Amino acid sequence: MSIILIGVNHKTAPVEIRERLAFTDEACADGLRRLVDGEVVREGLIVSTCNRVEILSATTAEQMESGAGRLAQFIDAAASLPTGFLSNHLYRHADDEAVRHLFRVASSLDSMVVGEPQVLGQVRRAYSVAVEAGTAGRILNRLVHHTFRVAKRVRNETGIAANAVSISYMAVELGKKIFNTLKGCTVLLIGAGEMAELSARHLLNAGASRVLIANRTEAAAQEIAREFGALTLPFDQLDQGLAEADVVICSTGAPTYVLTEQQARRALGRRRNRPTCFIDISVPRNIDPAVGKVPNVFLFDIDDLESVITSNIREREREAERAELIVQSEVMQFQQSLRLMDVGPTIGAMREKFQDVARAEMARQRKRLGVLTQEQEAAIEALLVSTVNKISHPILNQMRRFYETSEPDAAVTPDENFDLEE
Amino acid sequence: MRSLLATVLAAYLIAAIHSILAFINKRRSVQRVAEWATVAGFVVHTCTLAVDWMIDGHYPLFFLRETLSFLAWALVAVYAVALYRYRAQAVGAFTMPLISILIFIALMANPGPNEAPASFSATRLFPIHTTLVIFAYAAFFIVFMASVMYLLQERELKLKTFGAIFHRLPALTTINELATSSAVVGLTLLTLGIATGMIWSWDRYGRMWHNDPKEIFAALTWLVYLVLIIYRSTADWRGRRAAWLGVLGFALVLCTLFGARLFGGYHTFGMLLGF
Repeated sequence: MSIILIGVNHKTAPVEIRERLAFTDEACADGLRRLVDGEVVREGLIVSTCNRVEILSATTAEQMESGAGRLAQFIDAAASLPTGFLSNHLYRHADDEAVRHLFRVASSLDSMVVGEPQVLGQVRRAYSVAVEAGTAGRILNRLVHHTFRVAKRVRNETGIAANAVSISYMAVELGKKIFNTLKGCTVLLIGAGEMAELSARHLLNAGASRVLIANRTEAAAQEIAREFGALTLPFDQLDQGLAEADVVICSTGAPTYVLTEQQARRALGRRRNRPTCFIDISVPRNIDPAVGKVPNVFLFDIDDLESVITSNIREREREAERAELIVQSEVMQFQQSLRLMDVGPTIGAMREKFQDVARAEMARQRKRLGVLTQEQEAAIEALLVSTVNKISHPILNQMRRFYETSEPDAAVTPDENFDLEE
Repeated sequence: MRSLLATVLAAYLIAAIHSILAFINKRRSVQRVAEWATVAGFVVHTCTLAVDWMIDGHYPLFFLRETLSFLAWALVAVYAVALYRYRAQAVGAFTMPLISILIFIALMANPGPNEAPASFSATRLFPIHTTLVIFAYAAFFIVFMASVMYLLQERELKLKTFGAIFHRLPALTTINELATSSAVVGLTLLTLGIATGMIWSWDRYGRMWHNDPKEIFAALTWLVYLVLIIYRSTADWRGRRAAWLGVLGFALVLCTLFGARLFGGYHTFGMLLGF
């Protein structure tokens, strides 16, 4: 069997092309049913996200070329573009390369932001669509499950997703560096921008127990408060909120400082010096930079966050190199398991065949043995079968090893030698 | 028991190297090797001390070699507790090498005579006094480590440099708790240690206080940690100043440990390092 992968991603095709290709889940299922004919294309799977469209399929080794042609036609037709239009944007991978590509995609090594976690979920969904459409067979099942394993390994064994690379998630990362865990922390949002909202959501997911919202327009605050189950705070009671908050996220549209050093010092006193993390994502800045000089107060403005993100991305790219090594070794393992899968049923069939021969001989000679007890009869059959098994075992084992270590095409096809196809 | 002690050194060296590697590349598997090597080393080390005790017939905390070995043993024990309780792996990268060095010096040191003066081994109080004090110093070492880590991490956060240190040191709260609880444990042990020392001295010499440098330094140390704990407990958080006190306190601990050698006085018992 051969695995073919064809697709476009954010590196090979501009968004104008990717958006024409994008499949919804229903279109995916329909397309798969049309593509997989059971003859040339035996199995199929479509991964469609905003950054990529990948069509993965399994064919027999002999029909690989025509299979690849079918995939190209299919993708042209799906985008309703003339044949060959996409050829400059498409990449094609076969066998090892296709497997490697899928592993890299699912491990988020091929993503725009290396290490982003969504893509694995998208592959997972694509797989369930293919399963429902009935186009995932034994090759793709095995491949996709192996892919999940690789993605998990990459995530656990490398720091590819370790450090935050989005502004909204930085609040969590910085909070953790100060408080270790965000469990039980109180978050104060000053202003109710979209970014602040997103940050608060991340903080809540990380375990923060309470969100306070102070906004100049009460109505907007109420609206968000409902969403989070948060408390609103009149703007003139900001000091009260500051005294309680462990993490403060500020993003008002105000042209001046909303928070002064004085306020921060007062809040610190009421907090009995417990540290506070201030994050100012507004431009112009809303928190007086002098606040950062107050002991036990840690202030980060938008530029600080950007610079951490830049360094975190570099860190991730370094980790990605280690991830590539993992992918490399997993590709080899997968190929090996595929070969075993090819030979496994054959070996089973051969063993059956040998045992049948033994039983047939027994039936032929049975009359000559005269009257036997049931036990004796069973013993004779067991004797024959186990003799046959013992004789064939080393041969079958050798065959299995041969398949594990070398090209299956070069191996003797046992089907022919032992006439198994009758 | 040099061969046993050499085994201990080997285990601690493995632990030290892996701790440093784990600190640099943050691999959990490497950290696990470090932890298992520490545990293995500690078990053999405990056996070594026990065997020493049986063969030599006196509590293995008297001569220089024994004192170093015992100090290292106490440090491992305290570090293990800190690791277990606070997952502060970064401590290991600095503590394990120091422990290895202590064991190395102990191996190189003159083993000294086998018999401790009967007057010291006869009483139960003297070994209790030395053990308590040694463990107190080990706890203060953890306070010192935590204080230095606090100062470094706080600096990273304030200056927003976010370098290698930022990613590798534990969170401020963790370090702060580690320092506070180690200081409390250390002070308790030191208080008991000083008290037992006084009682012992009273029994033997009829006086509690000899005004020798070691005693004066010990009293100063005790005072500094008392101030540190009171200072910390009067607010929820003290931050930098408390951390600096932790560093100062440890400087005094070092003076107390080596003070007897430098300044002479009543606590110098021939071959002893301290005590």
